[in-house]
Amino acid sequence: MICDAVYEQAGFILKQRQYRETSLIIDVFTQDFGRVTLLAKGVRKAKSKSAALLQPFTALAVSYVGCGELKILTHVDVLHAALELNGLALYCGFYISELILCLLHQYDPHPDVFNDYNCCLSTLASATALEIEWALRLFEINLIEKIGYGLQLEYDFMTGLPIDAAKNYAFNIEKGPYEDALGYLSGVTLQVLHAKTLYDAKVLSEAKLLMRRVIDVYLQGRPLKSRQVMNQIIKRTHNV
Amino acid sequence: MLKKGLLGQVIQHLCCLPGVGPKTAQRMAFQLLQRNRDNAKALAEILLKALAEIGHCQQCRTLTEQTLCEICADPARELALLCVVESPADVWTVEQATVFKGRYFVLHGHLSPLDGIGPDELGLDALEQILAKGEVKELILATNSTLEGNATAYFIGELAVKHKVQASRLASGVPMGGELEFIDRVTLLHAFKGRRNIE
Repeated sequence: MICDAVYEQAGFILKQRQYRETSLIIDVFTQDFGRVTLLAKGVRKAKSKSAALLQPFTALAVSYVGCGELKILTHVDVLHAALELNGLALYCGFYISELILCLLHQYDPHPDVFNDYNCCLSTLASATALEIEWALRLFEINLIEKIGYGLQLEYDFMTGLPIDAAKNYAFNIEKGPYEDALGYLSGVTLQVLHAKTLYDAKVLSEAKLLMRRVIDVYLQGRPLKSRQVMNQIIKRTHNV
Repeated sequence: MLKKGLLGQVIQHLCCLPGVGPKTAQRMAFQLLQRNRDNAKALAEILLKALAEIGHCQQCRTLTEQTLCEICADPARELALLCVVESPADVWTVEQATVFKGRYFVLHGHLSPLDGIGPDELGLDALEQILAKGEVKELILATNSTLEGNATAYFIGELAVKHKVQASRLASGVPMGGELEFIDRVTLLHAFKGRRNIE
């Protein structure tokens, strides 16, 4: 078995749960080592100094050692000030964390996804509702692409013709779009998603539908808990 | 694996208490059975009685054996102030530490999107019903100062806006007797952001 000793690794806490009296088990998404599970001993004590640091959405420098699946956290420091996520942005932050938890394997390094995650969180911290939605779609497309299931958005896979902005398309998740007068995707949406630029509300709602179906396929039937909770929250706060 | 014999079982079951390992459980079992048999009997009886009778207060949902807990039943308490906390233990802590004279509402948890705990699981209908009555004028959100606690406070704050009730959040920052040198960076940052004018 290989023993690891990692020093000052950049990472974000995805999820934490209490362990015994004073400890935490945390899932950390590190830049160079992917998703790792760490045991943070004794951090829930009254005089603990790291309890305030060990919060999700804060860029941390973590050091850990260990041989098995569960490593021991030895030191933690804040890399830069915590992002202020509130309301919708905060719930979306939980959503992208859950995507990482569900779609990336443990100890599978993805520095590019780490950068996307970092950028997406920064966008969430200072964006309007539309910008947040676009940031989520971009994150989803990039994530799917980087874990090896990239979407083909450029051509109609049946005819081989480039996407026509004026036509409607349906989507085969493995092969790509194909022309269908009753399809739920407009050509414009596909072009925008391919170029990853410019968007409007209609494009966003179609893209949301597409990405939801794509992600559901790769989750293989596992429900996304944060999505359910977000729906409950939106229902309660917006229905007066 | 269950240990053999009744004594072994007592020791095993005492281990379910927080902070109690096999060694302490062993000491407790021998103390109760050898030197303190009367107290052991009283303890067993009171535990059974408590388990059978203690439930949740209908109004604030803290632990009590009555339909309304002592705080909710106390007419001297202000109706206009409601403090939202995560657990019944927090009610005790706030009661002992502050001069808060309002009432409480216990959530029994916090929002945790990654564990699938949302407003429905926390039973926030009961809180909304209290807010809808219009008696409460200020809602004090005393959830833990963790990200989930903040998310919960933010969400309940939105509910308060919906019901036109003023909501406030506990301050976070430098603890009493805290020297700046020994305070972690995140807490200090909060303290600076939440600084107050000297009146």
